[in-house]
Amino acid sequence: MIDLSSVPNIPPGFIFIFGAAFLPLFGKGKLRQVYLIILTALGLISVAVMREPQTSWVFSNLIFLQVDRLSLLMGYIFAIAGGSAIIYSLATVKDNGHHICALLYLGSAMGAVFAGDFFSLYIFWEIMAFSSLGLIWYEGSRRARDAGMRYILFHLFGGCALLGGIIFHYMSTGSTAIGPVEYGIGYWLLLLGIGVNAAFIPLHTWLPDSYPKATIAGTIFLSIFTTKTGIYMLARTFSGAELPIHGQEYLFVAYMGGAMCLYGVIFAILQNDVRKLLSYHIVSQLGYMVAGVGMGAIGLGLIATEAQHLAIDGAFAHLFNNLLFKSTLFMCMGAVIYRTGYNNLTDMGGLAKKMPITMITCVIAALSISGIIGFNGYISKGMVIHAAEMHELHLLVLILTLGSVGTLISFIKLTYFAFFTKNDEIEAKEAPIFMLIPMCVTALMCIAIGVHPELLYNILPYVGATAHYHAFEVGHTFSVLQLVLMTVFLFFMIGFFAPHEKVTYDVDYLYRKAGRAFIWSCEKPLIGFATAVEKQVLRLADYIVKFSQNPRRETRLSIGSGVLFVILFFVLYLIIMLYAGWLSP
Amino acid sequence: MEKKAWKGILLLVAFIVVVLSAGSLFVGHSETFAGFLYGAGGVALFMLFAKLMTLIQREGKQDD
Repeated sequence: MIDLSSVPNIPPGFIFIFGAAFLPLFGKGKLRQVYLIILTALGLISVAVMREPQTSWVFSNLIFLQVDRLSLLMGYIFAIAGGSAIIYSLATVKDNGHHICALLYLGSAMGAVFAGDFFSLYIFWEIMAFSSLGLIWYEGSRRARDAGMRYILFHLFGGCALLGGIIFHYMSTGSTAIGPVEYGIGYWLLLLGIGVNAAFIPLHTWLPDSYPKATIAGTIFLSIFTTKTGIYMLARTFSGAELPIHGQEYLFVAYMGGAMCLYGVIFAILQNDVRKLLSYHIVSQLGYMVAGVGMGAIGLGLIATEAQHLAIDGAFAHLFNNLLFKSTLFMCMGAVIYRTGYNNLTDMGGLAKKMPITMITCVIAALSISGIIGFNGYISKGMVIHAAEMHELHLLVLILTLGSVGTLISFIKLTYFAFFTKNDEIEAKEAPIFMLIPMCVTALMCIAIGVHPELLYNILPYVGATAHYHAFEVGHTFSVLQLVLMTVFLFFMIGFFAPHEKVTYDVDYLYRKAGRAFIWSCEKPLIGFATAVEKQVLRLADYIVKFSQNPRRETRLSIGSGVLFVILFFVLYLIIMLYAGWLSP
Repeated sequence: MEKKAWKGILLLVAFIVVVLSAGSLFVGHSETFAGFLYGAGGVALFMLFAKLMTLIQREGKQDD
């Protein structure tokens, strides 16, 4: 028997990054498929055999492998969801370049969560931004190209803010270790940089703008890594962050979570494009995680309360669950788009009989994200809301509860209008096997965790925190059941939320207007002013050249006028001296 | 009975349930039936938001 504890751990990110480098050697056929499946298995194994706590792979100040319960949890879910996305992509992706971008993206996200210092984190953070851009651009359309450009501009801005924050933090503390940050410019810059990735309102617009325009497989990868790495870093640096307003401390990150939850779901309900609807739901579900992180505390040890530990556990339980049901939903909708060619709910319908396995997995994922009893979303949403109750944040409890009503409305709308409405014209057949396998695996995991939450509790950062949380407490279960019954009943009775072909403006409308105004001001008034100045400078230079050649010819003033100017300047000089008091003795 | 009449009766029943749950919450200070109230309140709230959002919507296919 091999003693696994004696085998040195390899950073899982390196497996995928170096795996990407060797991919072109395997051509484009079956061999490449086998290679990608082996890479997925290796990635999973490398996380499964990881020991915690440990700090290794240290080069100078850079730490590439720092493992604790939190980073290990992230490693597990990234390996599972990333592996599912790789298998799924075997059905649709032909280009090696696309696979390389996906592997680099997965590897860099893994690198970021296992990074032990801010500078290594920053390196992986930037690789993530550029490799994910490839997944948008590989779609090939002009819409995708433009959205990709806006995406990378946002992430470059976020990356610059992050780097600025890291530098300020290093200058003030002399440390690059990832952890809570001192209040100051560095604090706000880091929050801004992380906020872009975590899709804080109003920095979220890159997400619903770009995700629906990426390739079918690309959207699955995108939905997994960028935002979740943002949440992870937020937990490491800003968990329980407070903002003093009028002498009172407010858990502003938690309230930002509430805002994201409600804002995302309002926009999701209005969408017709299925992937845009799911993208807005990423913002909304991130809201639960940000709220949990905002109420929690990491690194306080024994000082932290039970409520703070439960909040962190809730946030990361929801992150774990979200990756399962959200990637399932994106995979299902990707399969629908792949088979029908339609993106909008108004064009879909009648797919339940034509794509039954896709329909079943999609319904399971929809029930999970809606927080229905017996599915994983019910467990983790309940944990975050219970933590908010323990903190006595009544407004946040109300917002998060209403957010789950909106989520339920959105997903009744999505599943009903995609699969169950009548549409005789649509032609489709069941998704390919490589799409079905990961969809079924993640959907089954949603049920497994929903029925046996202990599977999840055992890998959460604070094991003891969930000891006093009873997910299936009668009162809570009964209350959720009432909420679900009333929402489903009103949805079908009122018939208000049917999809429409309408364009909904988000705050990026203002960014784009401001951007166009900025470009216009550069092109018109600024260029006009620069041209006028250039003209005058050239005239002056020309005059000086001519004057130096023949001063008498170029001097247009008479001697009398010249004397008058000199006298005028002298009088002006005397007046200034008199007013300034410099002539007084 | 006509479909519309059934719908009306069911909506009336839902209304009564919501009123009773609101009564139990605000008068009886019991959260036993608060789930009905949250569900109805949430649906009403999102209908209101959707109506308000029509002010910044325009007809046509979703594009850039």
